[in-house]
Amino acid sequence: MNFNRHPGTGRRDFLKAGSLGFLGMHLSQFLRAASTSGVKGKAQSCILLWLEGGPSQVDTWDPKPSSAFKPISTNVSGIQISELLPKTSKRMDKMSIVRSMHTMGSDHPQGTHYAITGHEVNPAMHFPSIGSVIAKETGQRNGIPAHVLVPQWEKSRQYEEYFRSGFLGPDVDPMAIPDPSKAGFQVADLSLPKSVSAQAVASRQSFLKVVDRHYRAAYEGAEHANMDGFTAEAWKMLLNPAVQNAFDLSKESEKLKETYGKDAFGQSALLARRLVESGSRFVTAAGFHSNSWDTHAKNDEGHRDRLCPVLDRTLTALLDDLEQRGLLESTVVLAMGEFGRTPFVNPDLGRDHWPTSWSLALGGGGIRGGQVIGSTDETGAKLTSSATSMGDIFATIYKAFGIDWTKEYETPIGRPIKIANSLDDQTGTPIAELL
Amino acid sequence: MKSVFTLSLLLPAFVFAAAPSSIRIEPKGRTLHGDGASQQLLVVGGYPDGSERDLTSEAQWKLSDPTLAAIEPGGKLSAKKDGAVTVTAIAAGHTATTTLHIEDASAVREFQFSRDIGNIFTRQGCNGSGCHGGVKGRGGFKLSPGVLNPKDDYEWIVKGGGYQVLTAEIKGARVPRIDIKDPAKSLILLKASGSIPHGGGRRFAVGSPDYNTILKWVTDGAPYGPEGTRENRIVALDVYPKIVTLDAEGRQRLLITARFADGRTEDFSGQALCVVNDKTVATVANGCIVTAGRLGETSVLVRAAGLAASTTVGVIGPPLAAYVDPPISNFIDKFVFDKLRRFRTPPSSLSSDQEFLRRICLDLTGTLPPPERAREFLASKDPAKRTKLIDTLMNSPEFIDYWTYRFDDLFRVGVFPNGINAKWSQMYADWVRESIATNKPYDQMARERIAAQGYDGPTRHYLPYDVIGPAGETMAEEVRVFFGRRLDCAQCHNHPYEAWSQDQFWGLAAFFSRVFKMGDQGNEYVVFDHPAGEAMGNADVNGSIKLFHPRTKVELKPALLDGTVVEGSARENPRKVLADWMVKNPYFAEAAVNRIWSYMFGRGIVDPVDDFRSTNPPSHPELLDRLAAEFRSHHHDLQFLIKTIASSRTYQLSGRPLPANSEDHTNYSHASPRALDAEVMLDAISSVTGVKEIFNTGVSGDEKDSGRAPAGTRAITLRQPDMYYSRFLDIYGRPNRLTLPERSGKANLNEALHMLAGAEYQEKLAAPGSRLRTLLTQAKSDDQVIEEFYLAAYSRLPGADESAAIRKLIASRENREEALRDFVWAVLCSREFSENH
Repeated sequence: MNFNRHPGTGRRDFLKAGSLGFLGMHLSQFLRAASTSGVKGKAQSCILLWLEGGPSQVDTWDPKPSSAFKPISTNVSGIQISELLPKTSKRMDKMSIVRSMHTMGSDHPQGTHYAITGHEVNPAMHFPSIGSVIAKETGQRNGIPAHVLVPQWEKSRQYEEYFRSGFLGPDVDPMAIPDPSKAGFQVADLSLPKSVSAQAVASRQSFLKVVDRHYRAAYEGAEHANMDGFTAEAWKMLLNPAVQNAFDLSKESEKLKETYGKDAFGQSALLARRLVESGSRFVTAAGFHSNSWDTHAKNDEGHRDRLCPVLDRTLTALLDDLEQRGLLESTVVLAMGEFGRTPFVNPDLGRDHWPTSWSLALGGGGIRGGQVIGSTDETGAKLTSSATSMGDIFATIYKAFGIDWTKEYETPIGRPIKIANSLDDQTGTPIAELL
Repeated sequence: MKSVFTLSLLLPAFVFAAAPSSIRIEPKGRTLHGDGASQQLLVVGGYPDGSERDLTSEAQWKLSDPTLAAIEPGGKLSAKKDGAVTVTAIAAGHTATTTLHIEDASAVREFQFSRDIGNIFTRQGCNGSGCHGGVKGRGGFKLSPGVLNPKDDYEWIVKGGGYQVLTAEIKGARVPRIDIKDPAKSLILLKASGSIPHGGGRRFAVGSPDYNTILKWVTDGAPYGPEGTRENRIVALDVYPKIVTLDAEGRQRLLITARFADGRTEDFSGQALCVVNDKTVATVANGCIVTAGRLGETSVLVRAAGLAASTTVGVIGPPLAAYVDPPISNFIDKFVFDKLRRFRTPPSSLSSDQEFLRRICLDLTGTLPPPERAREFLASKDPAKRTKLIDTLMNSPEFIDYWTYRFDDLFRVGVFPNGINAKWSQMYADWVRESIATNKPYDQMARERIAAQGYDGPTRHYLPYDVIGPAGETMAEEVRVFFGRRLDCAQCHNHPYEAWSQDQFWGLAAFFSRVFKMGDQGNEYVVFDHPAGEAMGNADVNGSIKLFHPRTKVELKPALLDGTVVEGSARENPRKVLADWMVKNPYFAEAAVNRIWSYMFGRGIVDPVDDFRSTNPPSHPELLDRLAAEFRSHHHDLQFLIKTIASSRTYQLSGRPLPANSEDHTNYSHASPRALDAEVMLDAISSVTGVKEIFNTGVSGDEKDSGRAPAGTRAITLRQPDMYYSRFLDIYGRPNRLTLPERSGKANLNEALHMLAGAEYQEKLAAPGSRLRTLLTQAKSDDQVIEEFYLAAYSRLPGADESAAIRKLIASRENREEALRDFVWAVLCSREFSENH
């Protein structure tokens, strides 16, 4: 164990990172690249459509009489979903529904933490998010950031913490970027300011060499923060047109932008597709920060007018777009919130939080579409099949990537943490019907 | 532990003086109690260079009266008869003696399950946290780590599966692990002897002493023996020596002594489990004999009787040709240099004036000195200028700003942590500032916060998000801040690596169970401790102020760590009792000095600073004790402590390593460069460029004047930092203070990207009113501009070669101003600027 302030950055590491730096590679990535030749499973990337606030399952994926909306048939015989998702109903063969979600945490922070990490909040722990685990297990492609969260939270920024790497370290933290639907969208620090010419870059580098020379000579043997590797990587990113290109939504046609929807959710999903196409491994397309699914009042209006149409539009645009580009086979699409909503309606005509039995949808990346996993009773309040935990969903996705879902990481003090943590601290099981 | 001590091969190895100049016997003056008592003795050789070696294996032994005791060639003395026996050891031509007292040699020692059976599990590794001692046991069999709970262990073995982690209910079928009718068929013996498959392999052979002990115990009907009493409870394990230094081939036997509550001691050398942290540095064999591996430093953990202790082992190179003792400024140096000498690691020279100036300004005020002050200090010939500078800095307003910021961070001052109410966080911030400005004794500060009641600054700490936090979490924070210990694990289960039990956690938590708020909804609240059993108009209050043990469901009463239940009256503030107890507890002062030390050195004597535990030993235990003692005897005076550290030569050593100490990262042979904290770094960029930072509430672009921090506010003086958006501060790791801040100091890609492309590194370079623009307006020469920036950023003058090289680069560009801008950019991106060294 090592509790140094700069763990593992002795002189040797420093030299190694430095010498690989010009290749634009981190030592860890270098080792990863050397030890595995890419990802073993069909899935190469995952897009999480984050339905913040928690959608009502009876008004989306698990229609019930207690919903004000009618079930409609889909292009998969025997599967019905809510009439609020008409476009999705025509592409049900691409996505599967899990109706037996049973999770922990009944307020937004707890629920989000659980949904994203598979663990309950624990004061002694910082758990990694699924995105950080996938980024760690698969590594970077084409110099494109492996883990991205879009858009970042501007208020309630504590939610962003749950999407981070926990004890895995900043290497696999998501890059959190602003709302791409806003005018003047630009990812900060991803390109050199226009005032900095190519000549200036060279000039700055020569100045830096001169001013740093004495210090580096004197402290050559001393312990350094492992900054050099990051700096080399940063230069490479800044000077790599592919990186800017990956984040450049202006390259997308106006028509496609419209199809995805020109709001935060639509443009985030479009950017997510652009990123996975370029090489990202896990992109969270949030976008419901200010249009929340948290319908404690007027649930039906919310789902009918401002939520389901947005989801239906963007999810289907994404599926079509991925398929057209031949990316659906290698891209897992997961649409979920932090929990479901009560099958009954409260006095404000709203529905409250319901982690007991809820639904999510997933497909792509080798995950079979057109399936329904699990079931609930007539009211939707109780599971009538065995419960599916977050760990089972994670295990399914890991398996699609070819990641060993039974893996455990050790925390700095040696506590084993399952990457697919199911209920009662068991390892999750991949859902056989989906793979 | 990774720290490695290597000696340059270029240094001529000095021939080791093979003969000791004296020997002595350890331990001295022991008394042996009871039938079968024994004591391992060591012969320690002292050498002319001050080093010591274990000579036990080559010693000859004699006893003054062989009827009283017997001694084995390996130095293990066994009592036979009451009396005083003098032992003589002869080794390397020297003689040493010691006298041991034997008492109650005929008194038959009562069988005790925890000691006689339980210790076998500890010694054989069965109840380690990686095996059956894990939180959930292993293979369906659970033991408490290190026999922490002998009753539970007994239940598991004799009756079968009882203890559960989170509930008191027993799950599953109960399978006894012993067979009274056919003792040799006991599962516990079959498994441990490998007679049937065992995931943990063979722990001992059929017929071995441990096997026979357990077999006899089962044959005798598997008794539990008398319950442990407070007097015969083991309270601590001592390991001798505290620091072991070994030559390349060296060996050292460890002496392990159990101390009982009644003051008795017992030799546990044969009963403890010893584990080396880094097995490449040393290995440990039966009976805790440590053998040297490669050069380096590691620790040996010793476990027995539910307790753990540790000792540091250093494998050192050959002596240096000439080891020059550096001058000593105060007691700190004595401890640090003593260890360096023992480890044959020379300290670097005293820091240069420029190194010292920059470092002391950053550590005492978080602020870089302006060029004119740097020039003045560097030019001064006053031999006392360093001491004077320390005094000047400690009397500066920046000192108060900086240490307020440090404690704001530690005490979690912010709008969200303090009730989502800017007024409240301001009250709390004012309390911190006032405490720092008046140099309030730290124990008083701690008391004021732990026991805070009513409507004042520190009470606001109890209203995170405008609610009273859960008692367990609140308690765990107080313990982490003021004791430097992490009890959080024990909230759900006994701490797997430490002797913290769930009972201790909840006993302490119960001090906070009655914390309550009262007042207008969403307006003003007072914080108080709800009187036990009184309604006060709140019908459901008495339910919510009661705390129940999560496993046993028993209602909890406030209890100190040693189990003492505090039965205050219903209207007393229980936290006052806790606060008084905490500040007097030895943990308090050691945690405080360690924390301040870490602020000055970049790492704690125990590191991380808030992770004191037996398995994370201090690098300098005696120094830590002494600092704590000094701090206590100086009435917990923070300024005294800071000044003492700053005045030590250890603090003032150069950051430039020598070939012979460059691999040392834990023993302070040279200052360790460390990244500037986010806030200090941003302020430093503003100060070097001469362009102040403007802080706005809300995200960038949303620049309403109403949400703007007063002009000239620096990052370290932001009173409610969580209200001010700053991409720079977020990227460089400003904690949000919603939980206890952990500043990792680890670099990341976003920092690198921001450094190369971020606004702070672009817009400030030549903004109107910037240092560069002013210098250009004044038509300063290249040399003058270069010198000014070197002084502003590095607190030093540029070398002639540096100036020349920079001038050359400037001359090679068409546009001088652009060239200078690039130069300033390079200064801000340089290591020398972004680190404290």
